[in-house]
Amino acid sequence: MTLDPAALNEGDELPVLHIQPSLGMVIRYCALQWTFPVFFYDPEAARAMGMPGTIIPGPLKVGLLYRAVDEWLGGAGWVRQVRAAHRRPDPTNDPIDIAGRVARVYEEDGKRRADLELAIINQEGQPSVRGFAVVEFH
Amino acid sequence: MPEQSLLTEDVRALIGSETPAGAVQVTPRAWRHAVEVYTGRVPAETPANGEPVSGYAIAALETENGGTSRIPDLMPNSLLIANQWEFERPLRMGETLTASSRIVDITERFGGRFGYSIDFRTESVYRDATGAVVARSGITMTQYDVREARRAEDAG
Repeated sequence: MTLDPAALNEGDELPVLHIQPSLGMVIRYCALQWTFPVFFYDPEAARAMGMPGTIIPGPLKVGLLYRAVDEWLGGAGWVRQVRAAHRRPDPTNDPIDIAGRVARVYEEDGKRRADLELAIINQEGQPSVRGFAVVEFH
Repeated sequence: MPEQSLLTEDVRALIGSETPAGAVQVTPRAWRHAVEVYTGRVPAETPANGEPVSGYAIAALETENGGTSRIPDLMPNSLLIANQWEFERPLRMGETLTASSRIVDITERFGGRFGYSIDFRTESVYRDATGAVVARSGITMTQYDVREARRAEDAG
């Protein structure tokens, strides 16, 4: 369904994006950043550091929030800002849901914009990330 | 908890210190790799030079200029607590930007779930040829002592 910015209302929900971030995704992210903390890919090393196993890098998760918003926009606008506040780790290969809702729709600098509240929800139903985004419509 | 604040004058002097500015470019390769990381899809087509591209590309630019500001190790453990991307306009394929990174703020916290902890907020700024800011990426790291964090947790 194509997003119609003119019909957007506060409280509208974004479609939930279901993702299962794999070890492959994490390794590709490490390669993109050219940084390889061992606890992102070695389960034993991660457990030795008190983690449940390998985890999804926090900086990768802000990009996943961006993806959820970008896919919702579907070309109707662009993402001006995306923020992530990390609450708890997400183990690699665990499914996550990215949910969001429109918090505010407004005009600014002659542009139509919206603030979005976002969250990454783990399979226990707990928010692992609280997020926020600002989008601008074409 | 340390007997005195770890935010010494030397540490506070790091606030505002900036890495040397360097050039970074939104290349087709960087953009494709970033899209593949975040979406799991290999883009079928590459945007032409000058066309807007998705903001994922900022993740590839972050390390091209040597990464973020170096944070001193004041406590034994560290954790990312927040990060963000901001764009004044969409990035464009092929454009060259000037990047620099700085420590925006260093604050200490007493109590809370980490016990005594120190937060470092850093920011990388990307400017176009006119000096106008195009994008920013920022992170907030906290440094703490896991033994003190466990005591704080046990105390409820």
